[in-house]
Amino acid sequence: MHRYKFVLYRPIQFLPVLFGISIVTFVLVRLIPGDPARVLLGTRATPTAIANIRSQYGLDEPMWLQYFYFVKNLFHGEMGKSILYKIDVLKLILTRIEPTLVLVLTSVTLSVLIAVFMAALAARNHGRFADHAVRVVSTAGIGFPPFWLGLMLIILFSVNLDLLPVSGYGRTLGDKVAHLILPSLTIALSLSTVLTRSLRAAMVEGLRSDIATAARARGMPERVVFWRHVFPNSMVPTINLLAINIGWLIGGTVVIESVFAIPGIGQLLVRAIFSRDYMVVQGVAMVLACATVLINLIADIVTVAADPRVKL
Amino acid sequence: MIGATILLVFVLAALLAPYISPYDPVTQNTDLRLQGPSWAHLFGTDNFGRDVFSRVIWGLRVDLQIAILGVVFPFIIGTLVGTVAGFFGGLVDAILMRLIDVILAFPFLVLVLSIIAILGPGLTSFYIAMALVGWVSYARLIRAQVLVLKNSDYAVAAVSLGFSRARIMFRHLLPNAVAGSVVFSMSDAVIVLLNGAAISYLGLGVQPPIAEWGIMVAEGQPFITTAWWITLFPGLSIVVLAFGFSLFGDALGDVLGVKE
Amino acid sequence: MSAPVLAVTDLTVTLNRPGGAPRLLLDRVSLDLGKGEVLGLVGESGSGKSLFCRTLVRLLPSRNMQIENGRIMLGEQDLAQASETGMLSVRGGRIGMIFQNPTSHLDPVMSIGNQLSEGLRYHQKLDAPAARRQAIAILRQVGFPDPERQFDAYPHEFSGGMRQRAMIGVALSCNPEILIADEPTTALDVTIQAQILQLLMDIRRERGLSIILITHDLGIVAQTCDRIAVMREGRLIEQGRKRELLRSPDHFYTKTLIGSHPSMPSPAMEKKALTSPPDFRATRDKPLLKVEDVDVCFAGAGSLLGKQSGSVRAVAGASLEIMAGEIVGIVGESGSGKSTLARAILGLTPITSGNVTFDGTSLRGDPGAFLAKLRRETAMVFQDPYNALNPRMTVGEMLAEVLKVQGRIPQVDIPARVGELLDLVELGREFAERRPRSMSGGQCQRAGIARALAVNPRLIIADESTAALDVTIQAQILDLFRTLKEKMQLTLLFIAHDLAIVRNLCDRVVVMNRGQIVEQGTSLQVFEDPTDSYTQALIRAIPDIDPDKSLLPLADREMA
Repeated sequence: MHRYKFVLYRPIQFLPVLFGISIVTFVLVRLIPGDPARVLLGTRATPTAIANIRSQYGLDEPMWLQYFYFVKNLFHGEMGKSILYKIDVLKLILTRIEPTLVLVLTSVTLSVLIAVFMAALAARNHGRFADHAVRVVSTAGIGFPPFWLGLMLIILFSVNLDLLPVSGYGRTLGDKVAHLILPSLTIALSLSTVLTRSLRAAMVEGLRSDIATAARARGMPERVVFWRHVFPNSMVPTINLLAINIGWLIGGTVVIESVFAIPGIGQLLVRAIFSRDYMVVQGVAMVLACATVLINLIADIVTVAADPRVKL
Repeated sequence: MIGATILLVFVLAALLAPYISPYDPVTQNTDLRLQGPSWAHLFGTDNFGRDVFSRVIWGLRVDLQIAILGVVFPFIIGTLVGTVAGFFGGLVDAILMRLIDVILAFPFLVLVLSIIAILGPGLTSFYIAMALVGWVSYARLIRAQVLVLKNSDYAVAAVSLGFSRARIMFRHLLPNAVAGSVVFSMSDAVIVLLNGAAISYLGLGVQPPIAEWGIMVAEGQPFITTAWWITLFPGLSIVVLAFGFSLFGDALGDVLGVKE
Repeated sequence: MSAPVLAVTDLTVTLNRPGGAPRLLLDRVSLDLGKGEVLGLVGESGSGKSLFCRTLVRLLPSRNMQIENGRIMLGEQDLAQASETGMLSVRGGRIGMIFQNPTSHLDPVMSIGNQLSEGLRYHQKLDAPAARRQAIAILRQVGFPDPERQFDAYPHEFSGGMRQRAMIGVALSCNPEILIADEPTTALDVTIQAQILQLLMDIRRERGLSIILITHDLGIVAQTCDRIAVMREGRLIEQGRKRELLRSPDHFYTKTLIGSHPSMPSPAMEKKALTSPPDFRATRDKPLLKVEDVDVCFAGAGSLLGKQSGSVRAVAGASLEIMAGEIVGIVGESGSGKSTLARAILGLTPITSGNVTFDGTSLRGDPGAFLAKLRRETAMVFQDPYNALNPRMTVGEMLAEVLKVQGRIPQVDIPARVGELLDLVELGREFAERRPRSMSGGQCQRAGIARALAVNPRLIIADESTAALDVTIQAQILDLFRTLKEKMQLTLLFIAHDLAIVRNLCDRVVVMNRGQIVEQGTSLQVFEDPTDSYTQALIRAIPDIDPDKSLLPLADREMA
């Protein structure tokens, strides 16, 4: 099991990246013109509040000391207070994380299922109608703006068929599931186009590969050649592509939460930008960046499990 | 071929927008609110009585600009950085790669949104944010290519023949390395277009009353149950323009012999 | 010979391109394979020998190809007419195949054992535990030292030779009567090649297999086969019993093939044997190139924590001298450090310790002047002719650029000089306008040589420059090197894994193994009377085209 040892030391390699993330988010907020205390607290802040934040973040101190305080507060789990919600940003994010997390997980699962189905259909009928159809749909599908696609799905399923709720997030489990179907489907459809294209290409190549020829030459039927040999080999680059697109997926979630009025982190971010709640912007950016780093670690583990050649 | 045709038609339409749009894109006419598609108003009218077809044509100008400028700046910066990093290696390369890792750790749209949050909403902020963030993919792509080509036999041959570093870099490596980025820039244009439209949709990009497809979708959203045409047509326009870029990119890839 | 197990008559395959005239790929090929017989199928790339074997099991590489005519009788069954489902039990179960490149033909994400079990379970209907037992037995038979443990290992954990053994095992797991081996040893080092050929012969004996061995190397055929069939441009031009065919070939092409086989002593070689080799040391007092105790180390995959954890010593203490006008060969198997040494000599790879002197200027003395001199007076020719040329430049542009950078002749004379260079390498002048993509491997290699000559070099280093070419093209390029050497007073350092080529071309030979020079001397000395044990093993492993110079102890037990 020494191939999985990297899971232990990989976090050490993440340190420079995490350091970089903290620098970028720290600098972001300091770039705003004007008195940082007023920027952070809003224009209607009381003088005591301003004095407090000055001492907490050492805003009168030199930059490097400010950064030190910033990191020190991070280690205490404090990201500063939201102007709008009057609670610590980290706590605020934690109350909003559930819908976002569920949305990301369901859309990734759904998109992989869609992509495997479509790509297999196309590759096994290479050069025939099904293949051309999948190619056109996946190429055109990349250009579907997720926010618009979501609205079109609302028109179809909620308005015309009256099957699913238009927007929001439920209280009970069943209600939540019903509310998440359309947004997940929207993101999954968008993401699956990229995956389908790459997976189809990998499968077509796989069916022509020496591996497939060798399997056929030992009398394996086409079904076995495809699912036992071509499919596992074509999944390896697709996992990689999925990992690359995780950032894109999270970005899509931000927009989709606004479309469907889902009270997740994305919606929180957009509202914070409008209300100049910079502490929240800073916190959300940092949390989402750390989440991306974590997801990449998971992708590494999956890659190592899927491909015995990979050593990390 | 189809891709090139779509792009050509769209570019022409954008240039000729003042001549081919039947109505003014911003003049409001409360008598004509929320009218469905007809011969007078091909795509119907919106809640201010503005002609959706004319707004789609004027919106094309903005969205085409987004797709082009949002790609050009990152392309130039990324190509330069990537070539330098790949060719010289060492400390410069290490520092640039760490920087790229950090930027890539942020979800693309989240970082762009954060930068816009600081600079204030608007297209200029969007372009600045794109230039600050978007170069990363180009730099990585070019760097990887340069690293491969640097060890190719013809690069070694060039060194052994006493060619200067600049000659090897710009005459032998870059022309071969850049092909992949040119093809990638077409699919990147699609992503930039979608992101630009999404940011305008959220209200952080182009500001009303300017016609832009993302913002038009947002403006139509309250009326989707009754006046679907306000949201349908601008969205479809994005789809067609993006399809044009994708097809053109694919064709370009075939011509230049680049595999994605 | 008993009744044939496989009888092919008039097999014709065409390529039907949409909107084009159909092209004949196999033209009425008729061939029999006897029980327990080893048939050598010889031909160069594009001769149709691989396609022929693919056609036997109806695995044509493209949907546009089809069997136009002919019969493939396997016992009573005509495979040309068999249904697709009927073929499933024939493929693997009755006719097994192994391929040139085991790395690409084995599934990298499936364990070796499971790939064997697949055939056992599918063709022999064994259950999982029985398949595992049987697979382990087969792994042992094909030479895996610890099959119980290696059952669960993946292909990438093995060397090329072991992978080829695994692929043979996978073929055996289906228990076929006929084995088609398509260039099974071409990707392997010569000592490993001998082992794999030995294994094939053992299996033939133990299992009574009939084998079709496809190869471009007549030496292999001479050492292993009972009968030989020669293919060219889709036609079977000649077949017959091995000794007769090699002794008195009918067809001119077969004669060319036999003539260009590098193990045959060339006329030049015979002449050299008569008049003792010119002693360069006596005629010139100073060597053109002197390599002293050179070490080249590569930093291993060093992590952030452990620096220099595993640095690899690619070349260790290499010393050699090359006189002006000599042709010196460096031979060794893959990983012996021969290419690294060449690059180090040309200053393309940094030297860890030691010294290189070229025509009086030394690396340790004045590195700047040394490198400048090297760049103006030496040139390199590479292995892969396509990778060695910039794909975006025409041959003319490429040559003109070199001339311009070297700056020895005025700008106006450059086009004329480009023409002369093309003449020198026997390429037509119209090639100045061509790009590598539209040229054959041999033509690209000539263009690469022209680029080297553009420098007007005193020393050319050729790194495996004929390894990627067909034998007849190979012979032409070697001839070109000989001619150029005479015409331009070149000194040539020729690096190759193919000992026969080096033997024919070079005055002196340097043998490398694991980064060290184990032996050097005149070609005659080294090849006729090697002193080092590794050199001896290496030379013994070359398959000679003379069947009586036996490579394998068992190869001579052919059926009378």
